[in-house]
Amino acid sequence: MVKEIERAGLPVVHDCTVTPISLTVGANRIVPTIAIPHPLGDPAQTPEEEKKIRRAIVEKSLQALQTEVDGQTVFKD
Amino acid sequence: MKLELGKINISDIQFGSETKLDGGVLCVAADQLKELVLEDEHIATVEFDIAKPGESVRITPVKDVIEPRVKVEGPGGIFPGMIASVETVGSGRTHVLAGMAVVTAGPIVGFQEGIVDMCGPGADYTPFSKTLNLVMVCTPVEGIESHDYERAVRMAGFKVATTLGELGRDAQPDEVETFETPSIKEGMDLYPDLPRVGYVQMLQSQGLLHDTYVYGVDAKQIMPTFLYPTETMDGAIVSGNCVSACDKNPTYIHLNNGVVRDLYEEHGKTINFVGQIITNENVYLADKERSSNQTAKLCRMLDLDGVIVSQEGFGNPDTDLIMNCKKIEAEGIKTVIITDEYAGRDGKSQSLADADVAADAVVTGGNANQVVVLPKLDKVIGTLDYVNKIAGASAETLQEDGSLLVELQVITGATNETGFGYLSAR
Repeated sequence: MVKEIERAGLPVVHDCTVTPISLTVGANRIVPTIAIPHPLGDPAQTPEEEKKIRRAIVEKSLQALQTEVDGQTVFKD
Repeated sequence: MKLELGKINISDIQFGSETKLDGGVLCVAADQLKELVLEDEHIATVEFDIAKPGESVRITPVKDVIEPRVKVEGPGGIFPGMIASVETVGSGRTHVLAGMAVVTAGPIVGFQEGIVDMCGPGADYTPFSKTLNLVMVCTPVEGIESHDYERAVRMAGFKVATTLGELGRDAQPDEVETFETPSIKEGMDLYPDLPRVGYVQMLQSQGLLHDTYVYGVDAKQIMPTFLYPTETMDGAIVSGNCVSACDKNPTYIHLNNGVVRDLYEEHGKTINFVGQIITNENVYLADKERSSNQTAKLCRMLDLDGVIVSQEGFGNPDTDLIMNCKKIEAEGIKTVIITDEYAGRDGKSQSLADADVAADAVVTGGNANQVVVLPKLDKVIGTLDYVNKIAGASAETLQEDGSLLVELQVITGATNETGFGYLSAR
């Protein structure tokens, strides 16, 4: 899906946990997430902490969307 | 470490008034075993049934398959950390009720358990169509969480299997096999010219009832570690899975791991089988990185020349598999990986979710998406209530004539990644 949307001319950020698969598949902007069953949350944390985690990932993704990249990039920090 | 495995060949299973072993015939007093199972307050009912090879019987939903064993000599007992104490097992003597299995069945998740057919085309795909099966169909008490119920049924299977295994304690085995792994230094002295080969076994640990236990420890929590392979023959590793049945290892397969057996077969002849490294397949990227790093480190520490890596399951564990392969190869150690494929019903899609040039020696257990038709059978042990929902089925699965249109994925053990199945290109 990431590749097809990019092919249509829109930049895409792939939020995912297993970044090596995203790299193999060919995404260009990759933002690491928490875990496969709960990419944008962490049930071990309080709901307030989870909201912070979620917001941080979404904001990082929006930042990544606006960043020019030269080839595949994983936005680690 | 040396283990003698005495096989008592079971020729028949019958219900009777007493649970006993009479020659090769296992008599089962179902009421006695029921009482044992119902000691667990999470299980509402249990019904025992017998399914024999060739009978027109379908068992579903199948959770686990277990071989009855008993520790006759040496430390510890079968299923350490689960049934027995956490004593280190794998030495002395163990007796096996061979040719039979205890099969736990009934819905847990409902859509994730498997199918075992005792005859017809389905029987050609599952190794458990060839065993005499004592099936226990369980139902849960109301309002129970599925993970609590999974634990209850898992433990009930082990309890019944060890109770039956105990009957073999004083029996005369039909055959005794011996497996021995020397210490590292002894092995080097004994086989200075043979290549040093290890087995890396990846254990399913994705959670949400995709779980494996090692000496009672949830494999999600382990760091990769080193085992004498004979430890697995005493039940050091057990299944806690309720997942796509074709490529998860039931406890029976851990007890009879084909890679372990074949490496022992060559041990001292063409290779020095140094031992078994176990690692996991967790859902956090850092865990995948840590476990594959430690696995490669252990391979280096043991000065291995070659490694066989077996995967359990599919999807994101493909990344663990490729990480293990890449990192072990980077240590200058040759690898062969064993996996299975999800290449689509037409076989034309990419087989694995991840890939690397280091993975240049691959053995496949088959394409789990391959479609087969399982004709209607006379008797169902369990229920067909979930058959359109299990992984590998679809809304069209149950046909008007009672046959099932399914992917191999639904069949317990069909594409097993330790080579326990029957699929072959030969």
